[in-house]
Amino acid sequence: MDGPRAARLVETVLRCYPARWRLRHGKEAAELAALLIRDGTPAGSIAWSYLAGAARERLTPRPGRRLGTVACALLVAACLLGVSAGLLAPAAPARASSTSQARGRAHCRRGSPEPVPGVIPAMRRPPVIRWEAGHGRSC
Amino acid sequence: MGGRDGRAGQDVLRRAGEASVLILISLAGGPRHGYALIQDIRDLAGVELGPGTLYGALDRLERLGLIESLPADDRRHPYRITAPGAAALRAHLDSLERVSAAGRLRLRLGGI
Repeated sequence: MDGPRAARLVETVLRCYPARWRLRHGKEAAELAALLIRDGTPAGSIAWSYLAGAARERLTPRPGRRLGTVACALLVAACLLGVSAGLLAPAAPARASSTSQARGRAHCRRGSPEPVPGVIPAMRRPPVIRWEAGHGRSC
Repeated sequence: MGGRDGRAGQDVLRRAGEASVLILISLAGGPRHGYALIQDIRDLAGVELGPGTLYGALDRLERLGLIESLPADDRRHPYRITAPGAAALRAHLDSLERVSAAGRLRLRLGGI
């Protein structure tokens, strides 16, 4: 392969690298290729090496890209939490309103011996104290 | 830098690849740019390093803080081995020596 054609081939392959890489190494890489061709290295083998290097450069995860992925995952998680909270928010007051006041208070009295109106006492069973969500609020 | 210095004792080059080790060995003899590195490695180890492999390894080593780029003269960027790079190379060569010694001993004991 003659000089200009080899140089064109190498320049074409160097365009496969990301712009950031070309900005840093582009000119030096072209000069290095010219020196290697002058020394007798086949232009095709140099082009192949640069092509493989460009593929590696594009496929290797960078710390910045990893951070971007983490940020994206966090954003998705936050969105999911927001949606879940939004779905649960209307259901919570409805559940709270369905619970009778007397029953709520009865649960607050631990081991209360006297019967409370509106509560059916368990037959010959020890009173079970159930610590439910929202217990603290009603007490 | 503290983290990098902390890893100095470990063999951080174990998975870095042969090209990275050869580049560090070459740079241990003084700062060099790409073309000089390829020539030196060819003379030193008989390995023809492709330019794509060379730049990939240089970027990786620089990211690890094992080498640093010096101000460019003309278009060429010379590189220099850093203190953590020298420590990592020493640790890797020590590890290779241990493995090599064990291999030779086994060959001798096995009478092969």
